Amino acid sequence: VAKTSLSSPPWPEVKLPDPVEEAKYHAEVVQKVNKMIATGQYGRLFAVVHFASKQWKVTSEDLIMMDNVLEAECGDRIRMEKVLLVGADDFTLIGRPLLGKDLVRVEATVIEKTESWPKINMRFWKRHNYQRKKIITNPQTVLRINTIDIFPCLS
Amino acid sequence: QNILFLFQHFRGRKNRCYKLAVRSVRRAFVKSTKARREKKRFLRALWITRIEAASLEHGLKYPAFISNLLKSQVELNRKMIADLAIYEPKTFKSLAALAQRRRQEGFLAALGDGKEPEGIFSRIVHHY
Repeated sequence: VAKTSLSSPPWPEVKLPDPVEEAKYHAEVVQKVNKMIATGQYGRLFAVVHFASKQWKVTSEDLIMMDNVLEAECGDRIRMEKVLLVGADDFTLIGRPLLGKDLVRVEATVIEKTESWPKINMRFWKRHNYQRKKIITNPQTVLRINTIDIFPCLS
Repeated sequence: QNILFLFQHFRGRKNRCYKLAVRSVRRAFVKSTKARREKKRFLRALWITRIEAASLEHGLKYPAFISNLLKSQVELNRKMIADLAIYEPKTFKSLAALAQRRRQEGFLAALGDGKEPEGIFSRIVHHY
């Protein structure tokens, strides 16, 4: 076929590496990471947690404030599931989309349950004698993340 | 009337005279309520520009990066990816490599078997 503008695709030609070699390389990497986790060679762990319809980047000894009410008393320990990402200095574990519960464990305690500062909601239309003022205080909870644990059960 | 001492950081006579202060305070409240809705749009645009800059450093454009990340089932927020790009450069580099690899696999899947399709106008007519 003659070489026209549509005979070859507009992206540059790419070759993927050999699948067998790739599988070997992947197994090696997984073993190394398992060893590192088992021996405990990681420094500070950070995790990305999905909580209260928001994603938070969390480390240990961290404070988190959310704009809603949790059904837990002050001082209760909470285990956060729905972990999206865990990382340390040398390696990261990316979940697709979530990581397994037997891999990561994020623990937190409820510290405070307060209301937010009084926010003012005002609507006003000029020349129409229309103004409404409403003071809103949202309930807030403060959590402190105690620990992030990982267990070497990769495959 | 005494509450207006809260607004002493205003400029000019608005921080002293009641009549002028009432008007400007009303406008300030209305603007803050509207801005609370605009803030979400503004922050999302900010995160998108930051992710674009970071992915260009690794040789990927923003639409390619985000679409490939979603196709490989990584559901991170734009806020999170922007924060990761700022504070965890190594993690962002691995995410960019993941997106690049998924992109190449997508190209190969789009090409099909590698044979050229039998065209109509490029058929060779044999006159015997």
